[in-house]
Amino acid sequence: MTTRRPNLLASLIAWPLVLIIAFPLAWMLLTSIKPAAELFTRTPQWLPRSITFEHYTRVLTETPFLQYFGNSMILAISTTVLVILVSVLGAYSLVRFRYRGRETLAALVLFTYLLPSVVLISPLYLMLVKVGLANTLASLVAAYMSFALPYALWLLRSFMAGIPEDLESAAMVDGASRMGAFVDVVLPQALPGIISTALFTFILAWNEYLYALVLVNSDEARPLTTGVMNMLISAFNIEWSLLMAASVMMSIPLVILFAFFQRYLTSSFGAGGVKG
Amino acid sequence: MVQVVFEKVRKSFGATVAIPCLDLRIESGEFVSLLGPSGCGKTTTLRMLAGLEQTSSGSIRIGDRDVVDLAPAARDIAMVFQSYALYPHMTVAENICYPLKKRGVAKAERATKLADVAALLQLGPLLDRKPKQLSGGQQQRVALGRALVRDPSVFLLDEPLSNLDAALRAHMRAELIELHRRLGKTMVYVTHDQLEAMTMSTRIAVMRDGVLQQFAPPAEIYNHPANAFVAGFIGTPAMTLADGLLLREADKAIVRVGALAIDLPQARAASLPAATPSAITVGIRPEDVAVGAGPWAARVRLVEPIGHETIVFLDADGLSLTARVTGSAALHAGETVAFDLRRDRLHLFDKIDGRRLATVPSA
Amino acid sequence: MPDAAAARPPGAGALERRDALLGMALIAPTILVLGAVIVYPLLSAIYLSFFSIYTPTLEGHFVGLANYRDLLGSGGFWSALVTTAIWTVGTLTLQILVGVGMALLLHQNILFRSLARGLVLFPYFLSTVVAVLVWRWLFNDLYGILNQMLMNAGIIAAPVNWLGAMPNAMLSIMVVGAWKFFPFVVIAVLARLQTIPESLYEAARIDGAGPVSRFFDVTLPQLRDVLTIVILLRTVWDFKEFDLIYLMTGGGPVNGTRTLPLIVYNQAFGLNQMGMAAAYAVSMMLVMLVFMLAYLRRANARSEADSAA
Repeated sequence: MTTRRPNLLASLIAWPLVLIIAFPLAWMLLTSIKPAAELFTRTPQWLPRSITFEHYTRVLTETPFLQYFGNSMILAISTTVLVILVSVLGAYSLVRFRYRGRETLAALVLFTYLLPSVVLISPLYLMLVKVGLANTLASLVAAYMSFALPYALWLLRSFMAGIPEDLESAAMVDGASRMGAFVDVVLPQALPGIISTALFTFILAWNEYLYALVLVNSDEARPLTTGVMNMLISAFNIEWSLLMAASVMMSIPLVILFAFFQRYLTSSFGAGGVKG
Repeated sequence: MVQVVFEKVRKSFGATVAIPCLDLRIESGEFVSLLGPSGCGKTTTLRMLAGLEQTSSGSIRIGDRDVVDLAPAARDIAMVFQSYALYPHMTVAENICYPLKKRGVAKAERATKLADVAALLQLGPLLDRKPKQLSGGQQQRVALGRALVRDPSVFLLDEPLSNLDAALRAHMRAELIELHRRLGKTMVYVTHDQLEAMTMSTRIAVMRDGVLQQFAPPAEIYNHPANAFVAGFIGTPAMTLADGLLLREADKAIVRVGALAIDLPQARAASLPAATPSAITVGIRPEDVAVGAGPWAARVRLVEPIGHETIVFLDADGLSLTARVTGSAALHAGETVAFDLRRDRLHLFDKIDGRRLATVPSA
Repeated sequence: MPDAAAARPPGAGALERRDALLGMALIAPTILVLGAVIVYPLLSAIYLSFFSIYTPTLEGHFVGLANYRDLLGSGGFWSALVTTAIWTVGTLTLQILVGVGMALLLHQNILFRSLARGLVLFPYFLSTVVAVLVWRWLFNDLYGILNQMLMNAGIIAAPVNWLGAMPNAMLSIMVVGAWKFFPFVVIAVLARLQTIPESLYEAARIDGAGPVSRFFDVTLPQLRDVLTIVILLRTVWDFKEFDLIYLMTGGGPVNGTRTLPLIVYNQAFGLNQMGMAAAYAVSMMLVMLVFMLAYLRRANARSEADSAA
């Protein structure tokens, strides 16, 4: 790291490995734009001889993909909004206020952050059936809070702990109330952390599978994960080109987020998971 | 008029008592420094005055209001933080105007006050910058500006100069003195730097372990330290403090320290209270040791030439003494020199409780 | 300004009390949500484990510890526990080896470094569903690119059944797990590598350490803390992994890759034995508790060290 000169030896070792790691994704993309005829050949066809988007149009027109996509969007966005609202206030309270039970609560949050979903799933299922939310997007939002909220709290807690307390003290001396100082000073400072947390929550909700499998069994409320998987399971003759096209399309939002916000994603990663 | 009063103020954090019982009265327009080593409670005291820390018991008054249950915003104070605490997402102008905005000052008036402060602190060209783009000294001025823009009844300053380099610190010290003189406002200044406290304050409150040791003007703190702690804490190089004995024969008083037997002057001996202990701590300021001639001899251990003066470390038969000699001295480590002490300026403290035995007539 | 002295309630601490109340008001929504979707379900999971409940009708009766007795007496729990341990150790080892190696490489000033980082990290953010679809296509026994490449290279003579036979299926899911989750290790290690002061390496160089001993004497000790945390965290997460295994093999062939989370799911929604499922879930959590507590202790020690600094 001392020199600006590229390290050629390391590049020669690293890049083949990077390409191997990236290969499955490249293969997904290539499969999705190959004519079906080129797929099932004895000798592998690396690059397609002709490019086709027929699989994409078929996924969009012949399957409920767009409905699933819409469901996933609604689900991920509402989960994110709710989780951010609750966790921003909660994390601020955990970091800055002194009251009985605060330490216990912080430990409990960390504990729930490690809890396996399969433990909660049956009781959650029973509970949501009882309150009449079964088979709705709302039931999934509620279930997603169970893993997204502890995660968000933990991330935001470490972000907010990094904001100098003097800033709030200064704001309060300057005439702000406690909540005024929170709005004027803490929120702007925590914004990068809030963005990271929101991105992560969105991705977690977008990718969730188990709750969607158990809590929803109609296309009206089915998100992409279980929807696309159904295409594989229910098909008599598995059409891999279609599945790869669907996979590419359901990954597009993630690619966009990742391309534009990679810095936010990797920073919160360190903060939440590893720094403790 | 009394401006700030601490009355039987106690502060504990859980089981730890930070400040057992503090009484302090600061007059209007004073510049008071809270001085002491780290952990002595000076910052806690300031934060209680600001309302950033709740008192455990006792009362704090600003003017005629008891403020212990008032939020910081309602206390009519302004504060400069050690870290400056500039709002990173606001420009310099926005930072300075924030206290005005929070108090509902109209926009036009805000602009006028901003211009005044900017002119006073020469911040004009910086107003549109963000704190990150400023040097440490500039950030310091902005923090000061944010405090000055309002007209609070008390200014609180928490080690505002400690993050500056030496040259800038000397410069800002002079500016703060000038500022205080011009504004005539009550200022409470926390520092661990005795030079700052000595040069700027009208009075210094020396604290140790949450207890006020002495509250007096700088000259009195220096010349008449109330106890051995204050004596050793104030002054560079530090006062020599050594165990000794006080022997009284009729109207004479003799101090024995190390191998020295020092005859106290008549007036001094007479001023000592009758019931004085014989076990004492003797304090000798470096400038009260005269090197070159005198009844005693000492070996030179170390010579530290500073330029305008020279610090000489002496060993008089096991008694370590520090001496301050004006100009450069032709002394070398290892040689033996004669020395004398200014006997009228010996500081005598009770060995048990450290308290000063009697007043030393000032020179 | 109101005169507060008159209005002051007996005893000091109004500021502190007001503050504590506000703090509790801010945490209230969190407590409400956590209580509803975590604490209540968790407690009722433990409660349910003492019942025999038929999932479709949700009717059941109290059976006491019978579920636990059956569970511990049957071979299913123990073999699933062993399977889970094999999966966790196998995939985690791969994740750590590939992750640390890749982090060390990406720490170097390689060509197009940010592109390389992006490509390497992306699988972690990908949906498990997509990862599984892609890999099942790669592993496809007739048309999968993996078999075709290996046969063309002459390494194998006939197509390998990657997911339908043991131990192939276990090895395959370990590889997919490693591919999906090693970026976590990369990011954690990379972040730590960037904070190792260059002066440590300079000092080692002056002391005559070569590149190999610099790695073992400087880099590795500096990574120890972060690796401990990463291993604990990933142990917990791999142990409870459901999506990837369920979607890759469904637990098969036979029960070759059936880990504890899959049994819990199968009991509840395959065999419709919700009480038994809860008993499995609780038992599984007790096993995990060791690692969870180890991580909690570690994380608390770290945050205390942080706040002390």
